[in-house]
Amino acid sequence: MSVRPTTLALLLFFGTTFLFFSLFAPRFATASNMENLMSGFSFLAILAIGQSFPILLRGIDLSIGAIVALAGMVAFDLTLIFHVPGYLVLPAALAAATLAGTLNGALIVYLRLQPFIATLATLAVYRGLVYSISGRQLVRGLSTTPITDRWITDLETYYDLGSAVGLSRFIKFPWFPLSFFVMLALLAVFQSVLITTRFGRDIYAVGGNLEAARLAGINTRRTTIAAYAICGFCAGIAALILVARLTTSTEALGTGMELTAIAAAVIGGVSLSGGVGSVFGPAIGAFLLGVILLGLTLLGVSQFVQQILTGAILLGAIGYDRLLVVRRQRRTAVFLAERA
Amino acid sequence: MRVVSAGAVGRRLVPHALPLVILVIVIVFSIAQPAFIKPENLIGIVRQMTLVGIMAVCTTFVIMTGGVDLSVGPVLATAGLVSFFTMQAGMPLPIVLATGLGLGLAIGVVNGAIVAFLQLPPIIVTLATLSMVRGAALILGGPDLHLIRDEPAFTFIGTGTLFGLPFSIILFVAVTLAMIFVQRRTPLGLLVAAIGDNERAAYLSGHKIAATKVTIYGISGLGAALAGIVQSSQVHTAAATYGPFGTELDVIAAVVLGGTSIAGGSGSVARTVVGLLFLGVVSNGMNILNVPIDIQLMAKGAIIVVALGLGELK
Amino acid sequence: MVEPPLIRGIGLGKVYGNLVALDDADLSVRAGEVRALIGSNGAGKSTLIKILTGAVMPTAGSVEMAGEPVRLGSPPEMIRRGVACIYQHSNLAPAMPVLDNIFLGRQPTLGFGFVDRKRQRREARELMQRFAIDLDLDATVAALPTVKQKEVEILKALALDAKVILMDEPTGWLAAADVRKLHASIRALKARGVGIVYISHMLDEIFAVCDTMTVMRDGHVIAEVDVADMDRPRLVALMVGDDLAKSSAGASLAKRIPRGNGIVRLRCRGLGKRGLFRDISFDVNAGEIFCITGLIGSKRTELIRSLFGADRFDSGSVEFDGKPAVFRNPSQAIGASIGFVPEDRHRDGLMLGLSVAENLVMSALGRYRRFGLLDRRKMADASRRSVSSLDIQPPDGDKQVRLLSGGNQQKVLIGKWLSLSPRLIILDEPTVGVDVGAKAEIYAMLRAERDRGAAVLVVSSDIEEVMTIADRVAIMVAGKLTAVHDADKVTRAEIIRDIGESAA
Repeated sequence: MSVRPTTLALLLFFGTTFLFFSLFAPRFATASNMENLMSGFSFLAILAIGQSFPILLRGIDLSIGAIVALAGMVAFDLTLIFHVPGYLVLPAALAAATLAGTLNGALIVYLRLQPFIATLATLAVYRGLVYSISGRQLVRGLSTTPITDRWITDLETYYDLGSAVGLSRFIKFPWFPLSFFVMLALLAVFQSVLITTRFGRDIYAVGGNLEAARLAGINTRRTTIAAYAICGFCAGIAALILVARLTTSTEALGTGMELTAIAAAVIGGVSLSGGVGSVFGPAIGAFLLGVILLGLTLLGVSQFVQQILTGAILLGAIGYDRLLVVRRQRRTAVFLAERA
Repeated sequence: MRVVSAGAVGRRLVPHALPLVILVIVIVFSIAQPAFIKPENLIGIVRQMTLVGIMAVCTTFVIMTGGVDLSVGPVLATAGLVSFFTMQAGMPLPIVLATGLGLGLAIGVVNGAIVAFLQLPPIIVTLATLSMVRGAALILGGPDLHLIRDEPAFTFIGTGTLFGLPFSIILFVAVTLAMIFVQRRTPLGLLVAAIGDNERAAYLSGHKIAATKVTIYGISGLGAALAGIVQSSQVHTAAATYGPFGTELDVIAAVVLGGTSIAGGSGSVARTVVGLLFLGVVSNGMNILNVPIDIQLMAKGAIIVVALGLGELK
Repeated sequence: MVEPPLIRGIGLGKVYGNLVALDDADLSVRAGEVRALIGSNGAGKSTLIKILTGAVMPTAGSVEMAGEPVRLGSPPEMIRRGVACIYQHSNLAPAMPVLDNIFLGRQPTLGFGFVDRKRQRREARELMQRFAIDLDLDATVAALPTVKQKEVEILKALALDAKVILMDEPTGWLAAADVRKLHASIRALKARGVGIVYISHMLDEIFAVCDTMTVMRDGHVIAEVDVADMDRPRLVALMVGDDLAKSSAGASLAKRIPRGNGIVRLRCRGLGKRGLFRDISFDVNAGEIFCITGLIGSKRTELIRSLFGADRFDSGSVEFDGKPAVFRNPSQAIGASIGFVPEDRHRDGLMLGLSVAENLVMSALGRYRRFGLLDRRKMADASRRSVSSLDIQPPDGDKQVRLLSGGNQQKVLIGKWLSLSPRLIILDEPTVGVDVGAKAEIYAMLRAERDRGAAVLVVSSDIEEVMTIADRVAIMVAGKLTAVHDADKVTRAEIIRDIGESAA
């Protein structure tokens, strides 16, 4: 697959921004700041990767924040109330998240609800479910009990790759968090799913031209449900990373993350009109947000100004995307003219 | 002509079982818990929904044209803050209100202009302004609460009573009536319905689509600002964090529950009020019956799914 | 012939609500046969094609392949049986590379759902070589010129190893050289025993590439002949519905007023739009009905949309009532007292969910404004008058337009402009999908407008209609105005000949 101009522009923008802060923001280009970047934004990148799938289908998933809380609470309950071993907790939490995503897809496919509405409703449902199963409420004292199961807490591990390859002798090399590698793995897996599998191709076909996909005999319903299931699954992974970091979970976990994930996906070049984008872009989009937020913080810019800039970047990203579309239309017009 | 509008209303409400459902729920709750039907409680229901109500009523036009306004929460906060600061500067109440409302209007107009002239997707545009306005509000007011003291006129908006009714309710009813009036009696109302039904045909009928969109996003911003002023007046404080994440979703939920399609097309302000009443009655009834918050949340989601899902299936 | 046809539709019918889109239609194609499917818009061609691809479930009839009945209404079933379709509108996923589009939905896999890209590429290359098509397999479809996109669609059909390929106006966007290339591919397919159904409005193409033809009108098949037995004038007559039995009635009774009252209302000089039409000059006078006729695809719609300000011209000038007139949007054209009735009333004309009354006032909201408010009483009065003068059935202004019949919907759409008393009214195919009774009423409305002193500009592909209402007739062929006749001095045969003489 050829690199699209949007992806190229995004990488360029990412590089420029990175360079800018490295030069001008004190302590930006340091090992500890890179650790912050990787550990603080890998889970967001994972959420954005998941969110790409519904958006590729011209949909949206507003419920991922609630799914994060749901998966987090499942892990919390199973570990602290039922003392289930971690190697069972992890798949159980992921299964719950995937199931929640599947339900989103099913509502959209079988009740023909608008994705926006369906996931708005499940946002409330899942968040409510979190409150009702919350071990913090059900069992006294659990809210202050940290999760100690190694299977879970080990998700929050840092690897000293610098020493491993001997780089540390020359510079101070950041320690890589496990979550970063999880993110890379998901990125690799889903990017290759999109490019090399029939399912991936079907996603683009359904998102790009639903009628064409249907007439080509693609099972559009199954594709849609699977896309939302993947989105749920990614939310589950993000939840586990967060739980490992906090060594607990709360009912409010993940609040508002859906909008940030959508923003990262859109900045990453996934078009809301469907069928355009990758999961690579959204991951970059998430880290671009991270670079800017961390960089500005180090520059002493208030967190509030950062919010304004985040909005501006989002506007810039869709504005740029729109510009490309307009240009393509103009090219078509010129082509028509030449042929006359 | 009364016959025309009555017919039009009838046409829009007939396929709509929601009012009946509300009636049934009211009866059920009244039997289960007689306190429910008491006037104080009924007034309480409306009072609880004034904030979301004002915003939902004012954003109905936006949703009718296939758009959405996610930025209402921060606009609400900003309007409250701006009112606070102008009061602190010693401005008289009319100027205070004009500043707060004017700011909301301006933000809405900017939203509308970006959506209409640059043809960008409303969900992302207003998501971006959501972030930007929140940032601006925080710069303006910081993360703290600002206490509003000794401003009886301002405080009256949210807490006063007139003719035995809370003034905020009167305000909500007035806004609703005004919007229903705009929808039924002004060219704008017809234009909104026309754009929502068929934007291409509206353009070929000689209508200025962009100007209309700017106007209705402006109204949405105005509604959010009014809600912000009412809230600040009710709780005697202004803060940049008011209208937290989720506010916009509550607003949208009320509108779509009323039967306005998020894809544009059919819808009406009156229907939004029905949707609001429905949500208000359900949540109040559940409160009275001591249904825990978690079940309430799930019920809310399930209601949206069932109400709209069944509508799609038939 | 002994061999059963590759595909055969028998007695196919499709009813949407109370609209009969297709009635008792037969269509068959044999191996190595190219069959033209001809008819005006709304004749039922697309419905017929969609039944054969499984996209539409017929309400009557059956489909056989090689003599064996097939399951209806299932695209995967028809694909499995080797029926491919090149639709009029692109049926590709625009953001995906060519290679993926060719194998859309049926990529060869290595197992576990992994696409066998090597095999895909190999097969695509073989096909391209065999049919002399040259494409960059890795290019994104959206980035390709239209002719290349059509080639992708053809390859997509070929990759299916299709036995039957249905082509719905495949040349709609193609230049002459590209059409010839497409025809070369079709001949190659034919030689390999593929059966092809070819929908087109272009006579040259039909005579160049087709063996047999099926002509449709109003949902019925009205003729099935060999191309060799057909000549150009007779085909045009069939296509435009030149029905001799009908023509003796009505048409000549009406009074003709070429050039109306002699005052030029609309003067067009050298109008051009790149890639669509060029050097178009004509005048429309007050008090006349000026028809532009021609085959579908001769770019008449594009021309009048630009006159109305919905699109732009690249060159030329327009004068309205002697003053230069450049309309940047419909609003300005309406301000100059021009009305416009688009061809597709559902897509461009009506707000189906709104009431008859609301639709009737849609272009004249300014008139019902009092102190900035909508004067509902005045609106209701006006709409009641319109409903009765237009004879809209049922006579209820509050009824949703969606619930009206096609003819009554069209009357609403036209009536919306008449209440404005426009100085020029432009109508695009004003009676498509309208029953005979409503047609007569619409003609009467247009004549009344003319007699009132309005200029009436009608685009119509229906020769019957043109002969009935026109005071003057202009003929447009492939983006050029080739002739203008006074309607009382020209015969139907001459017009048909003019239309048929397409500049290929």
